[in-house]
Amino acid sequence: MGDGRKKILLVGDNPFHGISHLSQEQARVRGKAMIYPEYAANLVVTSLENEANGFMFSVSETTLSILQILHEREGDKRPGLYALVPYAFEYVRLATQLGTSGLAKKFAKQIMVSGNVRAIAMGLKGVIRMDPVTLLKTYLIYEISRIKSSAGKQANLESLLLHEIITDMGLALNLDWLFKSYVDFMLKLGIKPGFDTRNFAYLVKKFNGWGINFHDVIIAAPFNKVGFQMDPSKRECETALATLDEPNVIAISILAAGYLKPLEAIEYIESLPNIKGVAVGVSKEQHARETFKLLKNRLG
Amino acid sequence: MGLLHAAILNTLPNVEVNVLCDKGALIRKFCKRVFDGVRVVDDLEKLSGLDLDVVYVTTPIPSHFIVTKTIYSNAISRNVFIEKTLASSYDESKKICELAQSFGAINMVGYMKRFAVTFRKAKDLLDQDALGELVSFDAYAYSSDFLGSEKSSKASASRGGVLRDLGAHVVDLALWFFGDLEVDSAKLESLVEGGSEDFANFRVKKSDGLEGWFSVSWCKENYRLPEFGLVIKGSEGFMRVNDDEVELKLNDEKSSRWYRHDLNDNVGFLLGAPEYFREDDYFIKSVLENRNVEPGFHTASKVDYIIDQVKSRAGK
Repeated sequence: MGDGRKKILLVGDNPFHGISHLSQEQARVRGKAMIYPEYAANLVVTSLENEANGFMFSVSETTLSILQILHEREGDKRPGLYALVPYAFEYVRLATQLGTSGLAKKFAKQIMVSGNVRAIAMGLKGVIRMDPVTLLKTYLIYEISRIKSSAGKQANLESLLLHEIITDMGLALNLDWLFKSYVDFMLKLGIKPGFDTRNFAYLVKKFNGWGINFHDVIIAAPFNKVGFQMDPSKRECETALATLDEPNVIAISILAAGYLKPLEAIEYIESLPNIKGVAVGVSKEQHARETFKLLKNRLG
Repeated sequence: MGLLHAAILNTLPNVEVNVLCDKGALIRKFCKRVFDGVRVVDDLEKLSGLDLDVVYVTTPIPSHFIVTKTIYSNAISRNVFIEKTLASSYDESKKICELAQSFGAINMVGYMKRFAVTFRKAKDLLDQDALGELVSFDAYAYSSDFLGSEKSSKASASRGGVLRDLGAHVVDLALWFFGDLEVDSAKLESLVEGGSEDFANFRVKKSDGLEGWFSVSWCKENYRLPEFGLVIKGSEGFMRVNDDEVELKLNDEKSSRWYRHDLNDNVGFLLGAPEYFREDDYFIKSVLENRNVEPGFHTASKVDYIIDQVKSRAGK
């Protein structure tokens, strides 16, 4: 049963990257307007005006432009930002075109050009020692600086979440040091560490084994009525969710990529315990208004 | 791909990733720091004597033949998984098949689209003769990976050109769906400077009269992710299938549509796409149970045969 607490309502960015997990054809049909930052920023503003509390996004050139527009237009308002790093698609695309070493060179050059002295110094140390923890910290400082330079220094960066591909690969390969270093470093920076995963039940089991305190972190994972991307099964994810001591899960894919109607999707979320909030992508103004009003009425 | 397979394998019961082999000194140094308890070596021959149950070959396609030859001739493992394509030519593929016949046991090639629930559904419908007598098909494989590239790169070459990189998947699906095919005509073009293979169009025929057309490009606009699909026409209607959905339209009936959501797409551990887990799980179980798998080397060599035919017909 649900816990009846108010939930955080986040507008997601998948449509702004041309993503549809229902069908890529659907994403193409939506057209290019969606990926224009001005259009996307309008949708985020409309969502915020209709009771969304924040924005969950992968850190890319598109979303950084959206943040900049939001900052310029709505500077006094500071929605909660939930940033996912890295934007894996962009790095894979670059690796495809440049090769892995070409990607590494390009990335190093970007950090140098950013002028972030702390990141540059740490990066050099990491490369010389080939120390993965130092390289991770360098990367995180770089991404945070990108967000702040677009959203403003006073931006309300609630959480920085590791992208599913990193989280899930780290889980599979038993890289407990990666998770522990990440949590420690982010807590020192005063930002809630987060993890995006497609293997929620597996993550809960591993974190319990590694002694990672769920109180310190936020988890983003799919939860929807049809069990889409709830691996290994809907039932195991629900069971794992029920074992948590407090709500620290942001439910994503609640509409199962548009497969479900909003009302039936929300009814399912209402029935779950330990859900801290939900993230929903929107592609039209009307869609943004209707969805977030409904979410506010039922969950907010 | 090596990391992806290593990660998935590590989640399977009865599997332990023991050793990684990479030529790159930087990669090796990094892997040693990252992976506890996993040996990292610079030379394939150092895998000899480790009594490995399975080896995964995830190197660039041009190296598949020499790597596989070394694995078999040094008795590194009898069970070998090779990321697609099997080799960079049909000649090399045949040699790998001969080596496997002499020294190997269970072998498989990573044509993971066969493990996608939508293509499996399509295969089931075809096996049930849902479309009646097959007449023709259109197949495509598109991505935007090199859209906007002004000249060909080492990366595109190491991927073996668009036919091997993208086209191979949809050729394998067509062979799985329809059986052996022969290339009738072909066009292969470079869309960017440097003579890379970027775009292919070709026509195939089957002895029973079935005709098919393929269109393959990695410079296609609006294909953020690679997409593979077929439209199949038969005497009783048509079917459209791609990575996301299957649509069946029979004559005089309403069409039926299945999304991944409708086809039990959950897996033990989701990384990349569900089909990677199913593929690895199937291969490992087959090794443990000592049963042959599909697509094995022999089946996969037919893809290399078609690709060679396309190149030959296109005068490349």
